[in-house]
Amino acid sequence: MTEITKDPRVVIFFVAVAAALIILAPVPSDGGLHSRLKYGLDLEGGSWLQLKLHGAIIQPQVDPINILDKQFGDALDRPVEVEWRSENLDYLITVEGRASKTMVEDLGYPQATVTPRGNATKITITASQVGVIMNYLETSLDSDVKYLGPDPLSFEVRSNVTRESLEAILAEVGGTLAPGDAGFSEGVTEETVDETKQVLDRKLNRLGLQDIKVRIVDNKFILIDLAGVSVTDAQEIVGKPGVFEIRIQTKGNDSMHVLYGDEIVDVSLPSGDQGGNWGVPFTLSEEGAIAFQKAAVETGATRSRMDHEISMHLDDDLIFSAPLAQDLAASLEVAPMRNMVAQIGGDSQRAHELYIHLREGALPVNVEIIGSGQVTAALGEQFKKQVLIAGIMALLAVGLMIFLRYREPKIVIPMVATSFSEVLMMLALAALLKWQLDLPSIAGIIAVIGTGVDHLVIITDELLYEGKMPSGKIYLARLSSAFGIIMAAAATTIVAMLPLFGMGFGAFKSFALITIAGVLIGVFIARPAYGRIVGRIMQGGE
Amino acid sequence: MDPETFISKYEPRKMVAIPLTVLAVSLVILGLTYMDTGSPVKLGVEFTGGTIITVPTVESEGEIAAKLADYPVLDIRDVGHRYMIQMGPMDDADYRQLSAMIDAEYKDPEIKYMGPVYSTRLQEQARTYIPLSFLFMAVVVFIIFRTPLVSLMIILSAFSDIMIAAACMDVTGVKLSLGTVAALLMLIGYSVDSNILLNNRVMKRRGRTEEKVSGAFRTGLAMTSTTLSAILALFLVSTFSYLVSPTFTQINILFDISVVLIFGLLADLMNTWVMNSNALRWYMARPKKSARRQRR
Repeated sequence: MTEITKDPRVVIFFVAVAAALIILAPVPSDGGLHSRLKYGLDLEGGSWLQLKLHGAIIQPQVDPINILDKQFGDALDRPVEVEWRSENLDYLITVEGRASKTMVEDLGYPQATVTPRGNATKITITASQVGVIMNYLETSLDSDVKYLGPDPLSFEVRSNVTRESLEAILAEVGGTLAPGDAGFSEGVTEETVDETKQVLDRKLNRLGLQDIKVRIVDNKFILIDLAGVSVTDAQEIVGKPGVFEIRIQTKGNDSMHVLYGDEIVDVSLPSGDQGGNWGVPFTLSEEGAIAFQKAAVETGATRSRMDHEISMHLDDDLIFSAPLAQDLAASLEVAPMRNMVAQIGGDSQRAHELYIHLREGALPVNVEIIGSGQVTAALGEQFKKQVLIAGIMALLAVGLMIFLRYREPKIVIPMVATSFSEVLMMLALAALLKWQLDLPSIAGIIAVIGTGVDHLVIITDELLYEGKMPSGKIYLARLSSAFGIIMAAAATTIVAMLPLFGMGFGAFKSFALITIAGVLIGVFIARPAYGRIVGRIMQGGE
Repeated sequence: MDPETFISKYEPRKMVAIPLTVLAVSLVILGLTYMDTGSPVKLGVEFTGGTIITVPTVESEGEIAAKLADYPVLDIRDVGHRYMIQMGPMDDADYRQLSAMIDAEYKDPEIKYMGPVYSTRLQEQARTYIPLSFLFMAVVVFIIFRTPLVSLMIILSAFSDIMIAAACMDVTGVKLSLGTVAALLMLIGYSVDSNILLNNRVMKRRGRTEEKVSGAFRTGLAMTSTTLSAILALFLVSTFSYLVSPTFTQINILFDISVVLIFGLLADLMNTWVMNSNALRWYMARPKKSARRQRR
């Protein structure tokens, strides 16, 4: 038999244990000694939120003419005539008697022209077919709707709708949804999820919170972990918008307050024109429009617009600044304007950011808190102490049991030492890979102590089958037979753990991870070395 | 009792009947619970949706119940220097109000809220994943042993472990939580250990079956007792450590995991060493086909 210290299994084992000790050694940081171990929220203190994004991706089948017919017919309470003029790319609506521009604006067509002609009124709406359908969905669902593509025509509805309610709405205008899941599927697009995540990230970052983790699951769930924040605060942060303000430049660097975000009644998704100029359309309330006009006239912005820029602020941070557009300045001279567009230029990314800001940091889709919770830091500290005691007691109890079984220090000591080394290596791996140790993972470690010792018992008993340690070929045959058993057991444990990765948003992922890691460390590093060492010790003892 | 006599004293068929009877009783318990509640094991708050709060015991149970009279309180329990309060589903506004109140009034509260979306999803996952996990294990066992009868015995034994553990949960009132699910899955792995050892010893070694079985039994007993002692330590610390220190409290999640593992390990002792070992004795003692062929 080769010298034990040169056996590669033994060498690997001792190197691994040494590495584990180095990794776990406390390092000075934050003015004290801290181990590299990371703890989960239930041991560290903090709160978590699980959010579900409301929304659906739909494919409506509907004729825009019917929509306009119904919208204007209902609003005016008399029959209207709708015509699509493909040469002008607009809709012409003719109705007996008069119709007000406000009514048309309220229906969601601010760019329409209303022309009285004789006894009738002609309303021209420059809108695409998609635009009309989208507008109908937005107004009847009271929700943001995003156009996804023409073929097949599909939209993303950004609120909690059901297939039934949508079908009812479409049935009113003689339309329906495409059959099957294609016509209606719950969830939102990846971009929307990302956008929501960005808004959340930004909100949380503005608050200067450390250690925030925002994760996305299945394109409709967002999970947030907040260390050191109570669940009440966490819910408030997610639910509460920022303070949005529009100001106008008075003289030099001075500016005055015009209005707050509550006067902005609607913000549309950014749109680009043919020239690639992006803008974010938004609508002011009536009072807001009056305040805006008053400020523009009083400061002189309507006449010398370049000297009096309009600026937008979110929580006192400047996010947008531009002079009034020429035609807007001219219009404001005469009357308040409710519909405006914040022009950004060629940068669609910035337009999107401004869109988010204009919504005062409100999330792009409605979210529902489907789960949340908290453990305070002091309680986490308490749990930490308790699980440490549990771990030590488990090791002691195991040591006692094997002492009772073997009553031979030459076996008991290597066995307990091997079991302890497995725990060290598991912890070191967790520290190295930045896994968070939480209560389930501690339970996993203790469970692995249990199985680990099982396997050491199998190895020992296989080797000592005839009551004494064999040598040479028989020793190796026994060892390989023992490993046949423990490899099989390890394989079944690992596959049985796999489902835990997906359950409950991975609440028990840590348990599964540490168990699998522990089993692998055991069968590939610790137990092979144990087989060699215990064999050597027992043979040497004869 | 000496393992040798224990193993060979009784006729295999009679011995096998005991664990099978226990399994049958367990299945009846699970069936009755299913008819009663619509689920073979009673579902905990994680699976039904609701709120769990723990707060320090600074007042009597009556006082805290009065304070929470406006909320759907299901149960208030002293878990060692803390009350654990379980509540049924409530709407978002109520929950916000509740969590703000709890945060303001108590030092170090623990709050956990599971909405209906979360719990329905979890139920679906449990229904798919637990059988899946079992299936994976079965496939691995078949690949390793390749003998259908032996593989089936091991799988039956694991199945029985889980069923008995689940029935024990019903009897003792332990509800299904993520912790207990994890423990049930862990059992799938555990239960295979000792069975593989037994089968390996009996099938691959030469010698008298009874001797091989009793040798394996000694090893198996050592294995299960070490595992049990580790889990027992976890159970004691998570459940009774509050009796020792005024700041300690019960840790539910660890209680759930350890108690289910204890049930399962005890069931496994019986299934491996009473059922499986006797089935193997019978299997080894049967007239061998190959031997018959040789005689011709």
